Amino acid sequence: MSNMPYPEPGSASDAAFIGIGEIPSGKYPTRGFMAQLVEAAARAIADSGLKHTDIDQLVLIPNLHGIPDQADLIFSRVVEELGLHGRAKSSMMIHSGGSTSDNATRAAAGLIASGQARNVLVVQSEKWGSADLSAMVDMLSVNGIPREWEGTSGLQFNAIGGLITQRYMHQSGSTPEEMASVCVALREWARLNPNAMWKDRGLTIEQVLGSKLVADPLRAYECPYLADGAAAFVMTSATEARKKHDNWVRIAGSGGCVSHYSSGQDAELGELGWPKAAVEAYDAAGWGAEEADLAEVYDSYAAVLTIALEGLGLSKKGEAARDFHAKRFSPGGGFPLNTNGGLLSAGHTGVGGGMALLVEAIRQLLHRAEPERQVPSAQRCIVGGSGGSYMDAQIMMLERVEK
Amino acid sequence: MSYIENSEQLTGPFGEALARGELIVQKCNSCSELIMYPKYRCPSCFGNDLDWHAVSGRGQLLTYTVLRFGAPSSFDVEPPYAIGIVRLEEGPQLTGRLHPGPDGTWDHYRCDEPVAFEPAEAAEVAQRPAAWFAAPQES
Repeated sequence: MSNMPYPEPGSASDAAFIGIGEIPSGKYPTRGFMAQLVEAAARAIADSGLKHTDIDQLVLIPNLHGIPDQADLIFSRVVEELGLHGRAKSSMMIHSGGSTSDNATRAAAGLIASGQARNVLVVQSEKWGSADLSAMVDMLSVNGIPREWEGTSGLQFNAIGGLITQRYMHQSGSTPEEMASVCVALREWARLNPNAMWKDRGLTIEQVLGSKLVADPLRAYECPYLADGAAAFVMTSATEARKKHDNWVRIAGSGGCVSHYSSGQDAELGELGWPKAAVEAYDAAGWGAEEADLAEVYDSYAAVLTIALEGLGLSKKGEAARDFHAKRFSPGGGFPLNTNGGLLSAGHTGVGGGMALLVEAIRQLLHRAEPERQVPSAQRCIVGGSGGSYMDAQIMMLERVEK
Repeated sequence: MSYIENSEQLTGPFGEALARGELIVQKCNSCSELIMYPKYRCPSCFGNDLDWHAVSGRGQLLTYTVLRFGAPSSFDVEPPYAIGIVRLEEGPQLTGRLHPGPDGTWDHYRCDEPVAFEPAEAAEVAQRPAAWFAAPQES
């Protein structure tokens, strides 16, 4: 399958992550959209060891809270805000919903590999936590949902989560307790992440099962909380990275499968696109689930994560929720997963949820996480993203490089 | 050559059939593929000689949910209501609504169990053209 011409490691066409930036996720009504974005960008640029004027390419990740801010991104406001007007070669937006960060990585790496960009800043900001909730419900009821075929049945995002969870529990025989334990494990990780929305509040299986039903079998504490947040990273070539850094992170390979647009048309709701994407990604990288030290995988609902873990081969088919219940994916367990707390406990920052997982993967591989949650000597991380109605499964195989 | 020029032409016949109490899916005249949701081109042979085909309405419930909070405002239905994904015995699958049982709940539905098309009343179909299904119940 893999005849992709991936760049030679360490070459000028081998893209390298050299810096990350993030601000805390949660409800921050006084924090402005552009203020958040500039702060995350500045932190990533400082972390990368570059000067802001070294950035020649901007890749912007869209927000979902409003059109005017989206227009500011599209029309290069960020270039001016960062003092790059007259210097930046190009500013563009990439969008595929929850998998945007993976596709933005592909775009940035491709621009570097083809010699069209030197230093790329990828940045995202979202104000979901402070937005009007009913307006966001309505917005999310048309994203990834065909208005004429499924809008007429009243489908919306939590209902899609309910449909997928119901199917997964039916196929795997997972119990409500086992599904709830997914949220509990993610909360345990979030308690170790100073940027997580729920860093100060614990969660038990009893609390999850005691919360109200929202979209059977999903309960309120199993649904993601909309959050404000911003994150960024900087990529360059391995030859540039070598000049300033002793270590960086490279892309060993990637895999992807766009399995459907609408939930009603996915023939394998209990699998989504993960099995096919994983074959491609592992073949391209030359390593897979067995060799990974950790994983950061899209988790807007527990079943979305358990389905992905099984497709990725990180759990046996049908066993992922039971693995969570046995604490395998909790801090101190056998395999570190979603070490920032994931969307379910670090906060769902729209398109930024996948971005936060990707940034956490880079942070872990650069060994720059807080000691409480740093995975010791992490070398290899599987990153998984998914957008819309879980329309795609995108996998990035990331590995640490030491000079 | 003529082609389907807009979404009204694409969706209209489905809603008109529902109003008559019938369930139809799109059919490709070139390769006989049954298509749901209808497309501008056949996803199998990519032809555009597309027609409609009445189906039995019998199928298998792949999954379902009962939405209890947060209905889209444009949907204009007070929750709870139930949504299911049905694989028709002819092959295509679609999202639709589920009728509650005599007790007013959806507790009798199960994944992979049979369901059958049971159209909603005309006023409902006129406002929200969706296929409704029901599970055969023990009497």
